Amino acid sequence: MGFFKKLFGKNTDDFYAPMAGKAVPITEVPDPTFAEGMLGNGIAIEPAEGKVYAPCDATVDMMFTTGHAVSLVADCGAEILIHVGLETVSLEGKPFKIHAANGDKVKKGQLLMEADLEAIKAAGLHTITPMVICNTDAYPTFRTLVGKDVTNDDVVIELAK
Amino acid sequence: MKEIKYVITDPLGMHARPAGMLVKAAAPYESKITVTAPTGSADAKRLMALMRLAAKQGMELTLTIEGADEDKAAAELQAFLSANL
Repeated sequence: MGFFKKLFGKNTDDFYAPMAGKAVPITEVPDPTFAEGMLGNGIAIEPAEGKVYAPCDATVDMMFTTGHAVSLVADCGAEILIHVGLETVSLEGKPFKIHAANGDKVKKGQLLMEADLEAIKAAGLHTITPMVICNTDAYPTFRTLVGKDVTNDDVVIELAK
Repeated sequence: MKEIKYVITDPLGMHARPAGMLVKAAAPYESKITVTAPTGSADAKRLMALMRLAAKQGMELTLTIEGADEDKAAAELQAFLSANL
């Protein structure tokens, strides 16, 4: 990609907020696994609702059987991990309803899973939901749009090679 | 080539955090590192591939490590598995 295209942010792959709520920098996630970028760069949502939607057209790579996390391969090639809440693997799936299976082709906005946010809070866990791009290294241009309230119609990550 | 066998003791299995930590532990080595579980095989430097294994407590993992720095990598990864998985 040429300098001007980069400069003006054209030809980017866009990723929409997977949940409605407030988009915040990944560095604000109170868990170093995410905040230090160990799983990839990205953003996090402080969710207002429990529904989790596909951030772009993609294939479901791995729906965790517990429903607390899902990985997707975007049609553009980006590898996405959405992790609902922190330490929520320990809840063994109880507050999660799964709406997609491994190998499913999903469209942007398609429901992937639903989380009972109150149940997660009642268990003493954070509901903040990181969405990271696992193959961050493939994208020299990585722009996040955070610090505002978002829905599944708002772009939160823009990538370009 | 070096080979390590390890049975997962973590009750939560290899979920996102330990998978990410394993990638971080494997990344510095130039050796090709492959993780084989009963559910499949994955490049230890690729997070998504590792998560796809859905490796659970009690499953045996086999790591094969091949390359110039395989001895050092094997020692490091053995220690990593014992401490984290």
